[in-house]
Amino acid sequence: MTAVLNAIGRGWLILTLAFLYLPILVMAAMSFNASPFYRLPVEFSTRWYAALMGNAALKQAAWNSVWIALVTTAIATALGTAAAIGLHRHRFPGRALLQAALYPPIAIPWLITGTAMLVFFYFLGIPRGSPAVVVGHVALAIPYVVIVVGARLKGFDPALEEAARSLGARPWQVAAWVTLPYLAPAVIAAALFAFAVSFDQFVISYFLAAPGDTTLPVEIYAAIRKGFTPEVNAVSTIVIGLSMALMLLVARLARFGEVR
Amino acid sequence: MRGPVPLLAPAYLWLTLAVFLPLSAMGFFSLVSDIPVGGRAWTLTLDNYAEFLARPFYAQLLWRSLELGAVVTGLCLLIGAPCAWVLARTIRGRWREALFILVILPFWSNGLVRVFSWAIALRGGGVLDWAVNAILPWDVRVNLMFSWWAVVIGLVHSYLPYVILTGYVAMQAIDQRLIEAARSLGASRRMILWRIVLPLSLPGLAAGAVLVFVPVVGSFMEPRILGGRAGTFFGTVIEDQFTAVFNWPLGAALSFILLAVVLAVLAAAAPILRRSQ
Amino acid sequence: MAGVAVRGIRKRFAGAEALAGISLDFPDGGFFGLLGPSGSGKTTLLRIIAGFEHPDSGRVEIGGEDVARMPVERRRIGMVFQSYALFPNMTVAENVAFGLRAAGVPRAERATRAAEALALVRLQGLGERRPHQLSGGQRQRVALARAIVTRPRVLLLDEPLSALDKALREEMQVELKRIQREVGVTTIFVTHDQEEALTLSDRIGILRDGLLVEEGPPETLYAAPRTRFAAEFLGAANILTGEAVPEGLRLPDGAILRAPAPARMVAIRPEAVTLAPDGSAPEGWTALTATVTARIFAGARTILHLERHGTALRASLPGGAPPALVPGAEARLAIPPDRVVPLTG
Ligand SMILES: Nc1ncnc2c1ncn2[C@@H]1O[C@H](COP(=O)(O)OP(=O)(O)O)[C@@H](O)[C@H]1O
Ligand SMILES: [Mg+2]
Repeated sequence: MTAVLNAIGRGWLILTLAFLYLPILVMAAMSFNASPFYRLPVEFSTRWYAALMGNAALKQAAWNSVWIALVTTAIATALGTAAAIGLHRHRFPGRALLQAALYPPIAIPWLITGTAMLVFFYFLGIPRGSPAVVVGHVALAIPYVVIVVGARLKGFDPALEEAARSLGARPWQVAAWVTLPYLAPAVIAAALFAFAVSFDQFVISYFLAAPGDTTLPVEIYAAIRKGFTPEVNAVSTIVIGLSMALMLLVARLARFGEVR
Repeated sequence: MRGPVPLLAPAYLWLTLAVFLPLSAMGFFSLVSDIPVGGRAWTLTLDNYAEFLARPFYAQLLWRSLELGAVVTGLCLLIGAPCAWVLARTIRGRWREALFILVILPFWSNGLVRVFSWAIALRGGGVLDWAVNAILPWDVRVNLMFSWWAVVIGLVHSYLPYVILTGYVAMQAIDQRLIEAARSLGASRRMILWRIVLPLSLPGLAAGAVLVFVPVVGSFMEPRILGGRAGTFFGTVIEDQFTAVFNWPLGAALSFILLAVVLAVLAAAAPILRRSQ
Repeated sequence: MAGVAVRGIRKRFAGAEALAGISLDFPDGGFFGLLGPSGSGKTTLLRIIAGFEHPDSGRVEIGGEDVARMPVERRRIGMVFQSYALFPNMTVAENVAFGLRAAGVPRAERATRAAEALALVRLQGLGERRPHQLSGGQRQRVALARAIVTRPRVLLLDEPLSALDKALREEMQVELKRIQREVGVTTIFVTHDQEEALTLSDRIGILRDGLLVEEGPPETLYAAPRTRFAAEFLGAANILTGEAVPEGLRLPDGAILRAPAPARMVAIRPEAVTLAPDGSAPEGWTALTATVTARIFAGARTILHLERHGTALRASLPGGAPPALVPGAEARLAIPPDRVVPLTG
């Protein structure tokens, strides 16, 4: 009886995994299909990847996505790590409120946040464009960084810092030799997280980027809306491959953090 | 040690400037006749909300979005809860870890691209047709693309991992000894499921449900790509106000109404969410 | 090296008074045991000496110098934490050399001095290990080596042995004493374990509710406590009360307990209660009869629990006790007056 139930359960899990991965695999397969009309069976070709190389708009958008993600990562990781340390170290009135304030950027639909930013920035006279996109991405990434780094800090023995001070270490030495090395795995994981949040972000970029000089997801969306093009398959396959590889790395590092 | 202010101020100023002020400002913009920029004439007004009430079209769309949220959430629970159970309670060791990562991985990959991949899979004369016809002897046309169901499938695909993740965490925490104790007291399998397993995993599943429902109600990209003409929802109408119609005050009012709905759902679920941490 | 002195230290946390005015001298090069029940303020006093907490009032002097304005890192102390607080990202050698690195000691000298310190705690050759690869006792030694390698003026230890099991704890007590004697550093050792305090310390201070109850060499505190709290906290004690009379103390039933001075309350160590050989006590001793309520065999000693007119007494007898003394039997006791300690409160 139990064995039968277990078998059914496993079958269900496998079907679910198939549901999750099959469309992605189909898309990847189609990106290697010579036929622009997705004719079956697949006739192998890399022509769409070659065509990508000649697509200036997509290349520009990809470059924008990368540097925006890098800038977002640097800012969000620095600010988020500092905030996590501040929340961990100090007890003050309003602390619970500050912790709760991390959730709206994650929980409120991006459509609402994105349109609100669009209107507010317009009101302030901040034009649509990459700087505005960075401002938005950093705000979305900060809560993730605070949560990831904060989780690691919970396991931090405050006696480590006191021990360092009792041994004559000045505050910067305590930070550089004791606190930051302990936090490093979480900070790296948080940075990769921030990169992924920015690199994969569509909605916020869609509302904040300047038309014609935008990020990769927005450019892909525009291409999809114009009609299916096999080039989009190719670039999408690359993007999803990259983002999955990135998250595998995060998963590894996050676990690495626990073991220590 | 110095106080917490230098550590906290940069991050929270940024969040204030980029999230909280814009959200509050949107409340204000929903109450004006035109965006007060560049000397444009504007007055305070409730017209934008009156518009929502005057035209049943908007309320219907909001209802349609809530309905979509309910269906997608229900399907995610139906598919995800058993998966969470299998992962948490019947598979052990390295396999469990590997399968768990496999479930979560698509979730953290590019959402837009995943929705797009369904557009490829579902289109008429596409892979789905080909596969169905390879199995069935007679000729069938399954063209799901640009339908309500296509939107549902894409959204379930997008948010299913949430339910599996939160359900997994809750179910993994159920003490095996409780189940053994119930067994030793002669409880039937069904009784164990209804009286022990479900109540104990409910907070986790409920948290997952909220995490699915909220973004689905506010979705616009998925309906646009997969729904075609069947893909008009509250989210797409809001988007239209900002990108096509350029009636920002109305868009702000509609966004604010959606925000109110979302906050109401989150507030109602807050005790459960807190319990499930 | 330097002596430490605290004067009139008070410290209050969110309403509760952790230290209510403590003055103490910790002699140069001595081993001072701070003893007290949990919550009595031992850790707080140690952390104030270290500089992690600041007293609400009072002075801390290290080597005769007021250190009020001196941050922890400039006080030149060594501290061993209850959790050891070894840096997980560094090797054992790097842990030990940490204080030297902070002081800017050149790399080569750091290595030699760290190796010397590891040899002193008998851990030579383990320098390349990580803390998580060590046993509890080894971690303890690393923490100690790390604290003394910088040649601190004072060594502060907060219940450093409480995480170890009994056998290891006793071994580490011996080691700690040896190392302290070799290094000669002024040491302040916090513990709630009276036996540990007695074994290790040159002087003991007993704290209770943020106040110093008594202070002195362990032998004196044990043999002649002045308070009931000290008598009961340092080892077991029979406490008897009654009326002060010239010979000593008159018990409620009228019997006279001879003591060196008149007293209303006295303490008698169980090992001072002896059996009168043939029913009569030696000249000048107190003779008492009591009923045996329990008899406990404890290896080298036998403990008799006795009762006399509602007062419980204990006698700790070396070797065995006569077989006749089973529960219910009458025992004739003899107590030498010089082992009866008058208490003031
Ligand atoms: N940081 C603190 N905040 C509030 N109360 C404290 C703090 N540290 C110690 N106390 C209180 O001060 C008293 C003495 O504590 P402590 O010095 O740790 O005692 P001991 O080390 O003797 O067990 C206790 O009642 C404790 O609760
Ligand atoms: Mg303590």
